[in-house]
Amino acid sequence: MLVRVLILGCIVLGSLSAYAAQIRVAIDADPISLDPHEQLSEGGIQYSHAVFDPLVRWRHDGSFEPRLATSWQMRDDNTMRVTLRDDVLFHSGNAMTADDVVFTIRRLKRSVDFKALFNIIEDVDKIDAYTVDIHTKHPYPLMLNILAYVFVMDQQYYAGQDDVIKFGETFASKNVSGTGPFIVEKRIAGQTLELVRNALYWDDESDGNVERLEMIPIRSDSTRLAALLTGDVDIVSPVAPVDMARVSRTPGISLSSIAGTRVVILQMNESRREEFRDVRVRQAMNLAINQSLIVEKILRGHGVAAGQLSASPFQGHVPELTPQYDLERAKQLMKEAGYEEGFRVTMMAPNNRYMGDEKIAQAAAAMLQKINITVDLKTLPKAQYFQQYDQRVADVMMLGWQADTFDSNNIYEFLLACPNPDTGMGAYNASEYCNPVIDSDIRHANREMNPERRVHALRQIERQIYDDAVVIPLYWQSIVWAAKSDIELDHVVNFLNFPYWGNLEVER
Amino acid sequence: MNILHRPLIPTSTKPTRLRHILSAIRGDKLALFALLIFAFYCLVALLAPLLAPYDSSSNDFMDLLNAELPPYWQSGDSRFLLGTDTQGRDLLSVILYGTRLSLTIGVCAVLIQLLLGVCIGLLSGYIGGRLDTFLMRCADIQLSFSTMMVAIVVLAVFQALFGNAAYQQLAMLMLIIVLGIAEWPIFARIIRACVLAEKEKEYVDAARIMGVSKVRIMFRHILPNTVSPILVILTIQIANAIVAEAALSFLGLGMPPTQPSLGALISSGVNYLFSGAWWIAVFPSITLIILIFVMNLLGDWLRDHLNPQTGKGVP
Amino acid sequence: MLSFVLRRLLQAVLVLLTISFASFMIQGKLGDPVRQMVGTSVSVEQREALRDELGLNDPTLVQYGRFLGQALQGDLGTSYYYKESTLTVIANRLPATLELSFCALVLVIVMATPLGVFAAINPKNWLSRSILLFSTLGLSIPIFIVAVFLMYFFAIEWRLLPSFGRGDTTQVLGLWQSGLFNKDGLMHLLLPSVSLAFVMTPIFIRLIRAEMIDVLQSDYIRFAWSKGISAPRIYFIHALKNTMLPVITVGGIQTGTLIAYTILTESIFQWPGMGFLFMDAVTRVDAPLISAYLIVVGLIFVVTNTLVDVVYGLVNPRVRIPGYSA
Repeated sequence: MLVRVLILGCIVLGSLSAYAAQIRVAIDADPISLDPHEQLSEGGIQYSHAVFDPLVRWRHDGSFEPRLATSWQMRDDNTMRVTLRDDVLFHSGNAMTADDVVFTIRRLKRSVDFKALFNIIEDVDKIDAYTVDIHTKHPYPLMLNILAYVFVMDQQYYAGQDDVIKFGETFASKNVSGTGPFIVEKRIAGQTLELVRNALYWDDESDGNVERLEMIPIRSDSTRLAALLTGDVDIVSPVAPVDMARVSRTPGISLSSIAGTRVVILQMNESRREEFRDVRVRQAMNLAINQSLIVEKILRGHGVAAGQLSASPFQGHVPELTPQYDLERAKQLMKEAGYEEGFRVTMMAPNNRYMGDEKIAQAAAAMLQKINITVDLKTLPKAQYFQQYDQRVADVMMLGWQADTFDSNNIYEFLLACPNPDTGMGAYNASEYCNPVIDSDIRHANREMNPERRVHALRQIERQIYDDAVVIPLYWQSIVWAAKSDIELDHVVNFLNFPYWGNLEVER
Repeated sequence: MNILHRPLIPTSTKPTRLRHILSAIRGDKLALFALLIFAFYCLVALLAPLLAPYDSSSNDFMDLLNAELPPYWQSGDSRFLLGTDTQGRDLLSVILYGTRLSLTIGVCAVLIQLLLGVCIGLLSGYIGGRLDTFLMRCADIQLSFSTMMVAIVVLAVFQALFGNAAYQQLAMLMLIIVLGIAEWPIFARIIRACVLAEKEKEYVDAARIMGVSKVRIMFRHILPNTVSPILVILTIQIANAIVAEAALSFLGLGMPPTQPSLGALISSGVNYLFSGAWWIAVFPSITLIILIFVMNLLGDWLRDHLNPQTGKGVP
Repeated sequence: MLSFVLRRLLQAVLVLLTISFASFMIQGKLGDPVRQMVGTSVSVEQREALRDELGLNDPTLVQYGRFLGQALQGDLGTSYYYKESTLTVIANRLPATLELSFCALVLVIVMATPLGVFAAINPKNWLSRSILLFSTLGLSIPIFIVAVFLMYFFAIEWRLLPSFGRGDTTQVLGLWQSGLFNKDGLMHLLLPSVSLAFVMTPIFIRLIRAEMIDVLQSDYIRFAWSKGISAPRIYFIHALKNTMLPVITVGGIQTGTLIAYTILTESIFQWPGMGFLFMDAVTRVDAPLISAYLIVVGLIFVVTNTLVDVVYGLVNPRVRIPGYSA
């Protein structure tokens, strides 16, 4: 008896020392719901990686790492066979099987936010308890990119109450059973999300030792940083560019900054303004904007000046297309186009969406002033901004785009394709630029299974829009996290900005 | 924001009022000092385009290359005495223009308050009865909602309504109208109280018997007697309007960043406090505080001297 | 008297109806909740379908009728973001704001009373003059500047106090979550309540001083002097007692100012109270929550004002309240 107590005591002590870390993370906004399918947003996916597991996930180098899927292979052009792990338990205690995967994918196809991504999937078949076949509508080169969004949900747990309704008071929005490294202990919307380590987590190779993880939304950049500086929280993101110098100077706090793939651009509306239909005007505007200066002064170097849409990890990236700044040439082009005296345009930008968005819009307006384009700038909070954006109310609009599939073609589909309300193509094409050649190239790239030919097709598009100066690319936003120095963030935070909290190791 | 609960009892007024005030202020060093500073502010605001080292409408006013230079005595850069903001604008110029904007908004808003207040106050006090009850209830209700609350709500709606760049031109007008409408009851109440007090006096009865029209009685006989209490409230109301405008801009509901008032400047500067660029927030803050301080001092002084019985400090 | 109270109640109801209509109208004008919450790759029709589902496409009057009917049953709608009844959400945040205001008011009374009384008793003293001067200065510093600089120095530079939130809370009598009963909660309370108190104190110093001067000139105080009652007794028992009632009622009217100031303070310190909730709701375009907040705040205003009117009318019959001609 005594021996058993001692052993038990040792286990308890042992587990305490192994899993002692309690971490508080301050982020800018908390997920709107406990239902991972309710909103497709960065915050939502970050939450999903903590409480659920995807079939596969990205490694730091951009390749895919098996998670709940152990292997996958193409059966034919339109079918992929996926084999699942057989040792995974949900937080509810149910075992994860093929039924759960079928349930999850079908539910994703019903989700307002995710259905665009999952439309390509025709159906899912269960082959045996740990095997499924996924059928696509046509050959699709980005299958794995999509499987990285399949966070498997517990079919038995949600059975009969699996509605996925935006802003709805559904069962799934308040109750959760996933397979992930953390279990939700308490959630007060807008104030805190408290997670505790899943003791029965299947991934025993993970070195993660965070026992409790608390996510606290803090809206204001300076308050969030203050919380880190005063020690109220351990990790914060994002960090405003202006504060980065301060963070790096502060002893006991370290900054991780990783090149991101979100591109921020200005779109010049060609239907609203006749002037923008002249390629020389568009080129002049591109030349008048000094992207490097913006990155250096406003983003404090935490971004990459962009001359094209695809960031360097993307297949469409063409290294030669660098941002150009030449004021004289810009003035010359304006003169040639007959607009030496300039003109007046309206411009809108969000003021709480992208890193330094408002300041960058102001700076861009000041730069355009130098080629006599007078800009009436209005900045709005994101909720109001995107409503205005949908109505295309200003001549120049700012937009940031993160490709959910981490592939160039996603950017082209939404930002460059001719606007088509039926297919949803060009939904964010506020340039209202329409080029049938590019449209067919985009369709082609979406079916091309040969990797080399696909890369070639994507780069073709990138060059075409560069020559046409369709948009003004500004920069690729960096992903910046700051933490107390004893927290090793670098191998947890990645270029996707989906930190894998389950792997976080803290030595205290 | 401020509630004057008891009617001020007006003193008898004479044409030499102004001279009287001036001679009195000469005897009070603090008030004189405040008056001088206030006059300086007004002058600076009027002459901002001439005084500012840089022209805010010029193409070269904003240059990112000059962003965030510290003040002259730290950077040694003689082009920018108080340093530059994050867009590379000369802080001194921006503050001069900002002061001009803040004062303009404050004065215009109070003029609207005054106009509304005088009309409603005269009507209410002179006609009396149900109209009086109704108007004063409206005033009570209007005042019970703090100006800030009303302004926050109304401006948020305006922003959504005008949505596009047109709002930029309208922002100033909106601020003036909102702040103007929100505080008319303060003037209305005082005027009404004066009217009530004057109405009973013999000379008004006499005028009425002589067949002078109501409007004429109100404007020619009663209104001049309300000048003193109005003067007292005026300075303080302008100061309050400026503070309210600053607070609204701080919340992001005021002037756009391209055309900053003092409040908008402070608001954008606050984000740079942590990073060490203290001057962007500190200089506009000091400018604003001094302006409000001298106006409050003047208001207090006027109250003490024009209404000896009520030594009341109403904020 | 009864008819006066009844008339006030009727007015209060009218005011509330106006507020409800205004806040209802705001719902339709404040951005688009659908666009805000849906992810980036959602088509126009899907959004339109969602609008139908939420009843955002019905005629205005139909929507208002629905809104009023529900409001009368205590249902002010469901917050888009919190997915809970808006009244529940607001009720959850109310204690934080009440505690903040309460602590600020305690600080205000502790500081303002002795200073105001002193300034009233010795009007010519240099100390009184500097008290008045400093109160004017205090009035001239906008609250957001005070709050930001307090936070900068105490939280960031010197790292003495926490910078945001309420800290630990304890359940009190099973009624509300309170931060008043543990050290962490009190530490968090300090900066926001000091900021609030900083701007409210000068108002009250002046109010107390002015009322006290009035009272000291009154006949019964002169009578008390002539009876030979000791000075401290006159000042602190007789005079102060008569000063405080008008001060409290006039102070009651400052509720509106207090609420506006809490919006600013709470936004800066991310204090999880009603003001912060409101600004959050505005940015999130959580229309039901915005209108519910306006109605709740409107209710608070109307109730305090009606109470103050009645109390003030009773206490101080010298003041003629319009409509109160009994």
